Formats: sequence, C-alpha cells, structure tokens
Amino acid sequence: MSNTPVIELKGVTKVYQQGKIEVQALRGLDLTINKGEFTAICGPSGSGKSTALNLIGALDDATSGTVKLEGNDLSTLGRKKRSHIRRDRIGFVFQAYNLMPVLSAYENAESVLALQGVPLAERKAKVMPLLKEVGLEGMEGRRPDELSGGQQQRVAIARAIASSPAVVLADEPTANVDSATAEKLLDIMEKLNKEHGVTFVFSTHDPRVMKRARRVVMLVDGRVDADQHKESGEDAQGVPQ
Amino acid sequence: MNVFKMAWRNVLRNRRRSVVTIAAMAFALFVELLYAGLIPGYLRAMEEDITQLEIGDVQIHAEGYRETPSIYTAIPDPDAVTAKLDALEGYPSAARLLGGGLAASGEFSAGIMLRAVDVERDLKVCKVAGKVAKGAWLDPANPKGVVVGKHLARTLAVEPGSEVLLLSQATDGSMANDLYEVVGVLGSVAEATDRATIYMVDDAFRDLMVMPTGAHQIVVSRPRTASAAEAGDAVAAAVGEDLEVKNWKQLMPIIAQMLDSVNGIIYILYFIIYVAVGILVLNAMLMAVFERIKEFGVLKAIGAGPLRVLFVIFIEAAIQTMTAMAIGFAAALPGMWWLSNKGIDFGNVGGMNVMGVSMRKIWYGIYEPSVLAGPVIMLVVIVGMAVLYPAIKAAWISPVEAMRHR
Repeated sequence: MSNTPVIELKGVTKVYQQGKIEVQALRGLDLTINKGEFTAICGPSGSGKSTALNLIGALDDATSGTVKLEGNDLSTLGRKKRSHIRRDRIGFVFQAYNLMPVLSAYENAESVLALQGVPLAERKAKVMPLLKEVGLEGMEGRRPDELSGGQQQRVAIARAIASSPAVVLADEPTANVDSATAEKLLDIMEKLNKEHGVTFVFSTHDPRVMKRARRVVMLVDGRVDADQHKESGEDAQGVPQ
Repeated sequence: MNVFKMAWRNVLRNRRRSVVTIAAMAFALFVELLYAGLIPGYLRAMEEDITQLEIGDVQIHAEGYRETPSIYTAIPDPDAVTAKLDALEGYPSAARLLGGGLAASGEFSAGIMLRAVDVERDLKVCKVAGKVAKGAWLDPANPKGVVVGKHLARTLAVEPGSEVLLLSQATDGSMANDLYEVVGVLGSVAEATDRATIYMVDDAFRDLMVMPTGAHQIVVSRPRTASAAEAGDAVAAAVGEDLEVKNWKQLMPIIAQMLDSVNGIIYILYFIIYVAVGILVLNAMLMAVFERIKEFGVLKAIGAGPLRVLFVIFIEAAIQTMTAMAIGFAAALPGMWWLSNKGIDFGNVGGMNVMGVSMRKIWYGIYEPSVLAGPVIMLVVIVGMAVLYPAIKAAWISPVEAMRHR
C-alpha cells in the first residue's frame, strides 16, 4: 500500500429529493483512500455509504465539496469524460451482480475492455486467465442464468478488474450469497488486492467484510464517525484505538 | 462488446413479444404492399383511359379554338407540326379534324360531333380503335366508312352495315351532306364519345366539309418517363409559340385533381395503418426497454456512452423491422403477382362511367420499385419514430437512477 491518494473527498454534501422530502445523505464528508487499500465503508442504513460510493464512482454529482479520483475533480468533468473515467479507471461490483443476461461469462468479463476498444486477441489473453483466477475455468460460455449467485459475482469481479482500474468499488458484494460463498469471494478480492495491488472500496453491513478489511470507515448521518486502520491499530488521525 | 450480437440476443430473449411485434409489422407491410400497387394501377389505368383512348397526353390547337370551337379556327399546316414532333423521340402525334352536325338513319336523328382522323398516325397515339365492340375500325381504303359511339348507335338504331346520313355546314357555306356506311360501333369509351361521336377518315371529312387543308387538333402521346407537365413543355418548345399547347391535366383539370386527391388518400391510409403498428411497436419497445432499464444503467455505469445504448436499441428495432420486411414481402409476392397479372375482375361494374371516363372491367396492380418503396420507407420511419422515445430515455438516463429502477 502506498501513500498515493486515489480518492479524495473534501467537505462533500449530497442532498436529494425523495418525493417532497429533502434528504441530506452526506453532510461534509472528508475521506482519503490511498492506492492499494482494502477499505470497507460501513454504517447503518441511511448513513450515506452507497451515496458516497456513487459519488466516488462518478455515477452521481455531489451537492457541494470536491470528489477527486487520481487528482481529477469529478464535479468539473462533463458527462462524456466521466463516462470515460468510469470505463477506464473504475471497476464496479454490485450487490445484485448486474451482469448482462444475454452475454456469456466471458463476454461479460470482457465487456469493459470491449468498450475501451481493446482488440479481441488481447481481450482474450487478459480475460481467460482472470476467469481462471476467480475460479470460473470451463464456465466461460455460460450465461448468467446458468451460474450460481457466487459464480455470477465472480464474473462481476473479473469484469471489474479486467481493465486494471485505479479502484474497484464494491457495493454490498456479499449481500446476496451464502457465508461460504461470501468467504470465497472475499478470498478472491483479498488475493487480487495483495498480489496485484488492486484498490478495493466496499460499502457493506457484512461483518465478514469488515473483519477482512484493513481499514474500516464508519459513517453515521453522512459523516465519518470512526476510521480504523487495522494494521497500525490507529485511526486515520493516528490516535491509538 | 459486439452490439449486433447483443441486439440479436435481446430480440430472441422475449420471443413471444418479438414474434408479435414482427408479425404486426409484417402484416401491415403485406397489406400496404398490395394496396400500394392497386391504387397506382387504378390511377394509371384511369389516366391511360383518359389519354390513350381519346384526348392524348398533349393537345395542340390554333389559338382561340378551345374557347370558341369553330371549323374556321384551324392549325394551318398540321403536317409541319407533326414533322417537328416526329423529330422528338417518344412523342407520336396525329392531326384531327373536328366538326358538328346532324346524323340521321331511318326515322331517327341526333346531333353529333364528327371526329376525323389520320387512321395510320392516330393508331400510334390513341387506342380507341381497340374499343370497337361490333364491326371494324376505320379503313383509309374505305373513306365512306364511319364508326359510331355506343349510345349514339342505339339512338340512331344503326349497326355495322347500316347507312347513316351526315348533315352539316361546309366551310364554304354550302350544305354538307352525304351518305356513309357504319363499319363499326364502339364499346364504352367516355360519356361524350358514347352519346354523340362519329369517327371518320380525314379525307372523307375534307370532302364533306370542303376543307382541303388545316386541322383543328393535333393529339400527342408522351413517353411514360415524362410527366404530363414535362411532356407539355417539351411539345410547346418543339412546336413554337403561335399554337396553344395543353397537357391532359390542363385539359381535364377536375379529373386530374380527383386523381391527385386519390393519390393523397393512399398516404392517409398508409399513415392510419402504420400509426396503429407504430403504437404497437412503441408499446413493445417501451416494455422491452423499461424492463431492462437496470441493464442500461449498468452498461452506462461501466462506461458505455448514450450513443452506444441508443445504437443497441435501434439495432434491435432494425433486426425486427428487417425480419418483418422479409416476411411481409414473401407473403405479399403471390398476391402482387396475382394482382399484376390476373387483376381484380369487376364484372358488370366494369365499363361504368366515373366522371365521364369509362372504368376498366379488370383492375390490375402495378408493382414497380418506386411503388414498393413507399410502404417500406413508411414502415422504417414509423418504427424509427416509435423507438425514438424509449431509446432516448434509456440512453440519457442517469446510471444511478436506472439502477434504482424497479
């Protein structure tokens, strides 16, 4: 893990309308995530963790404050540029897998590379070993409805990391799978983090994820309530826990 | 990501819906194709009946003749005019002499219109000779032979072989009268012809009316590639300014307007049928897009631009439209063949007069590329319009909003 910041949030607020009610999801969030981190953003429902992940993923705009990804202020970028940043620098793993049902495991895994215009042979050379690494060797041609939930989430992980993004954002990745599968998925992501240096940021309630994460950021009411770096045993400000 | 492969698989994904959508498009195209050929067939037949039977595509008169027809208002040198037109490719022409008079046979008599033709040249311009129902057409070797309109023959109680006395005033002021033999009786041509026209050989008219030179009318036929207006302009340019040149639409403006309005009705009916199909396609595409809105959200989240999403949806619609076209054409082909070769037989209704023009007994369809293009283009436009809204909605929706969609 280096000290190069990949994600920087400063004074971020997010207000959105829920019918006639105005909801303040984030209230001045400050957060920096460095390259190679394996971080879990936790908190109760409505604490703002999914909103934070959406802002980091350039999927949504902050109401105020700055969100930077590798130094780029996302709020200043247009739709097209943000779309390119999502394609080239961010990998997504969703709670409901969100694979394209008409594409095979291989086609789903290579989809981001295809969007980038990577040639077929190069895509194949990159994706086939990845599918093997996530334990899907021999299942490349299966469609999502021919795979279990855990297998689908492995495809989603392969899709997320295929283009070597700066960060993989995983929104409740273990919520829809059983314990054994959840542990296996976490093994895979932990291995990718340790061996390939892929930065992972999770939004989760799952204690298994929090246990494995090397940094746990606790959000309450749209602000950081606690930020624990487990390896050092200190919080982000260096205060012993 | 292969957009075509993805679109194709999406079409196959909900087969029942795709089949219903394709079937609706194919059925509409099938109906439109048959219908599109029938109406121009009717219009063209009507135009041909108007122009080729009697009046030609273009007529030339001496200035003032049409306003006040007079035997003295003649084109002085019709041979020179027809010679100029002979130099134009595809514009055969024939001079005619016209006059009024009285015909009598036995105890019966009637006011008549005499129409004298250069038999050989007229055959190249008009097809009235083919409308002889009894007897034969005029023969230059028999200048005393005349052909009588259908109803006039009944009024005068004549048939081929009967004698008929023609009376008129000759150009020199003398009484023109002579006996002629009815050699033929026409079938139904047009109201005026049926009731009061007698065709005769031009030399016989010159003898009867003491009119050694000139002609009252030159009738010109046009090539099918030229419109009536283009033909009129070409003829006018060839013959010079001292003669009056009118195309058939100028000669019969009410019928021309009626035919044009029938043409407009085709497009209104196209529109009505296709709007119904458009609503079905819109409904199908709305369902297809909105039940997959989450997928489009994911596509956008992983970096697909709106144009790519738009493209996927349009390719899906294109696949369905092209399949429908293939089915629609395949289904319509036998019908098109039947309508263009056998036609619809109107039986006793055939021969009925519509605005003074006799309707044909058999109505044929015309199936040319230009006729078939209309329904195809309309289908593509309507499907394109129906798909536009759901496609734009899916393409420009925010990924977060799309992924939250239930």
